[in-house]
Amino acid sequence: MYGDHALKLIQHAKRTQALAHLPHYQTELVRETTREVRDLDKDVSNILAPFQGSFNPSSEPATACSVLVNHLCMRRNKRCLLAYHRVRSDKLEEMCWSGKDVLDQEQQAGRQGNGEGSGMASEVGNQSSLSPEEDEYVRQYGDMLAAYKGQWTDIDLTGSLEPPRDLFIDVRVLRDAGEIQTEYGYACHSLTILCQEWNY
Amino acid sequence: MDIDDILAEVDVHAVPRQTQDLQEFTRAWVTERNAPEILPWPDALMQRILERIRRQIELVEEQTGNTDPKANFRLIIFQTELERFKFLVRSFLRARVAKIDAHALHHLTDPSTKARLSPSELQYATTHTTLLHAHYRSSFLSQFPASLQRMDDTAGGMSMVEGPDVDRAVFVRALKDVEEPVYVEGTDMAFEMRKGDVVVMRWSAVREVVIAGDAELI
Repeated sequence: MYGDHALKLIQHAKRTQALAHLPHYQTELVRETTREVRDLDKDVSNILAPFQGSFNPSSEPATACSVLVNHLCMRRNKRCLLAYHRVRSDKLEEMCWSGKDVLDQEQQAGRQGNGEGSGMASEVGNQSSLSPEEDEYVRQYGDMLAAYKGQWTDIDLTGSLEPPRDLFIDVRVLRDAGEIQTEYGYACHSLTILCQEWNY
Repeated sequence: MDIDDILAEVDVHAVPRQTQDLQEFTRAWVTERNAPEILPWPDALMQRILERIRRQIELVEEQTGNTDPKANFRLIIFQTELERFKFLVRSFLRARVAKIDAHALHHLTDPSTKARLSPSELQYATTHTTLLHAHYRSSFLSQFPASLQRMDDTAGGMSMVEGPDVDRAVFVRALKDVEEPVYVEGTDMAFEMRKGDVVVMRWSAVREVVIAGDAELI
């Protein structure tokens, strides 16, 4: 049926919005949807071929209708594909902003997964959830974000969006962290309070 | 005597520049966060604020070595204030970036909106859009028929480029009496805004008043 694959993509996108992590990239569905668009385009050219450019919609309402439906389906598929990719790239951008190194995380998850087996199942699932194109996109977006952030070094653009209430936060030291250097350069050995900036 | 009367008596010019700037910036921040559209970049104000933050950071760095408890306490207050300022600027910039990202193509194609971005935001928007298009193209668009590869298609009576919803309702407080009555587009409604009035309005109707600084969003 027309638009079935696209509908599945949209359902995936909807689900992605509610999830904390990024599910697998639907390579197969994307390919099917794209193929459908190409087939529909071929159909349209086939239908219109006998008329040799002198097609008059009002004299052939039935043909006009099928051409219109095909066109609408193509456009719908395109919108669905765009929406699916946009939801995913938005999610990736969000990760970039919140300071998670997406690519690094993926590699780490892969390594851990290989070493420890089933315990890391969810992270292993995460390992190949990006398409190669998305991988490239994240890399470039990260570079661009770093460049934009570089203009605001004093502000720390990716910092917390919660209004600061207190300069200090309480930190309970779980294991020896050694010497820690804070923003303004004081070094402390036993930590009880730390600047908000250094939220470990 | 009401608190408003007392406040009205205080001459605006008697308030020090710093306090004025902070007030102005807080207002810009609230407005930016509530308005559906991106607002003009407050260049001069931003420069003053950033300059002040830079000076304050220097001051804190200088004083850090000081072990006098009194100075230390003052330093804590300075730093807290500094963090608040940084938060304001950060939140302000992030609100703008979120709007730019949501309607990137609209911001780049519409000349009046484009003029409201700061140079670095413009660069960000351009690069981001280029990246996103390259991503779409390599993912699927390149395999589409040529007629369907455009991102700003207007075929079928519908433009692909979406803009912000300028008719969204916003809460507005008038800061001074607005001379001209405000007309709501598409209706025959018009009303006057007196100082202190709070109204719920379509953003498109009060946009001019807010940008002119006669009213603020809350």
